[in-house]
Amino acid sequence: MSLWTMIGLMAGGFGKTCAIFFLTLLFSLPLGMVVALLRMSKVKVVSGIVRVIISILRGTPLLLQILAVTYGPHYLLGADVSKNKLIPVVIAFAINYAAYFAEIYRGGIESMAIGQYEAADVLGYSKFQTFIHIILPQVIKRIMPSITNEIVTLVKDTSLAFAVSYQEMFTIGKQIANSQTSFIPFLVAGVFYYVFNAIVDFVMARVEKKMNYYH
Amino acid sequence: MKKKIISIIISGLLAVTVVLSLAACGGNSGGGAAPAGSGADNAEKTTFIMGIDPEYPPFSYLGDDGKYTGFDVEICQAACDKLGIELEIFEVNWDNKLIQLDAKECDCIWSGMTILDSMKEAGYVLSDPYFDNTQVLLVKADSGIKSSADLAGKDVAVQLGTSGDQLLSSDLEELAATFNSVVRCDSFLKCFTELDGNAVEAVLVDEPVAKAYINEHEGFVILDEDLGGEQYGICFRSDDQALCDQIQGAVAELVADGTYKQIAESKEEYADLIPNLIFLQ
Repeated sequence: MSLWTMIGLMAGGFGKTCAIFFLTLLFSLPLGMVVALLRMSKVKVVSGIVRVIISILRGTPLLLQILAVTYGPHYLLGADVSKNKLIPVVIAFAINYAAYFAEIYRGGIESMAIGQYEAADVLGYSKFQTFIHIILPQVIKRIMPSITNEIVTLVKDTSLAFAVSYQEMFTIGKQIANSQTSFIPFLVAGVFYYVFNAIVDFVMARVEKKMNYYH
Repeated sequence: MKKKIISIIISGLLAVTVVLSLAACGGNSGGGAAPAGSGADNAEKTTFIMGIDPEYPPFSYLGDDGKYTGFDVEICQAACDKLGIELEIFEVNWDNKLIQLDAKECDCIWSGMTILDSMKEAGYVLSDPYFDNTQVLLVKADSGIKSSADLAGKDVAVQLGTSGDQLLSSDLEELAATFNSVVRCDSFLKCFTELDGNAVEAVLVDEPVAKAYINEHEGFVILDEDLGGEQYGICFRSDDQALCDQIQGAVAELVADGTYKQIAESKEEYADLIPNLIFLQ
């Protein structure tokens, strides 16, 4: 098998890697905010439950969660296993990453000085307006580096989808490596991930710069 | 005062961690170096590392006592006992098994492994075949599927890196083209779960594995169709001909003194294997 055939096959799988990546971000970024707000809820029961859920999601391997979401319903309830593996994979990723994002959001929101809320109150802002117009923009600016960290990790974590035989790039790379008894596919996979992350880095640096409006 | 106590505790913990990790490193390099010897120093070999797929009953699997067992494991253990060497078991990742063998993580692959032409071409040393195998399709009994022709437009699962997987892209390519998709799982358990959960309609699998599964689970049948004959053997690194001969010699002795037959008849799970064991013909 020539190098180009290998790259071609793996590029095909890379589309599926991207599908996990973008869908996970699409769902987990907003879901994380909802979880963060529930986590900070004044109702003790709500914040307590959310706290336990976050603790479970952060305290168990993502690999295990992917297997649980894919095969759990079958073993526990006798439900059918999803034919389209992208669905359980994205559900598992989105829930897991939402837990991490939630804690990052919470860190950002709780780092805001209480004086800002007081000043907004004096100026007649409602609680909702204060959050949307004053707090949130500053929070986003402040948490950007941590978010980038998670996104870069997500790119690499997509390879865990192999566990449920979702044919993403790394799974295909492993198959080629096996059938050709060659190490080259792993190098190709490394290059794919690195280039993807270099692009993510570049985009996130631009976003951070754009948001640097007070400096 | 409190701070001081805490800092003492922390530094104590750190010291313990460092010592433990150093010890672990030492242990690893010590253990790794001895069996890593290649063809040349086989004469002094004291440990033989057998590479198995731990999810491949009845050839190699985790027994009820938490130790690896299976037909291949028991034969290998008996052969090692004969040679007076210690057996160590290494769980390979089946789709990376040859890379792991080359990396000297194990000394052989011996786990219901099909002898493939590609292995011979790549220069691996292969033992004489010991088992006649066929590839079969396992389906749900109530699915109404009677032959491979009924699988047109359906999904079929296969274990990654197995001979069935290779067959679908070589001899069975035309059949595979009629399937809706081929789902490649990294273990047979997952293939069977996919079948049980209706995500696929059939699993292409080695006959003994299918039989072992049917014995434990109801509602499945094997299609009466032989999709490819093949033989199991043991795979060694290209420079390990001497080791291969040594192990093979020990197995031949086991066959001669009846131990081989005894092991084959010792467990219910092995009963289905006997008609296909080449050395017992």
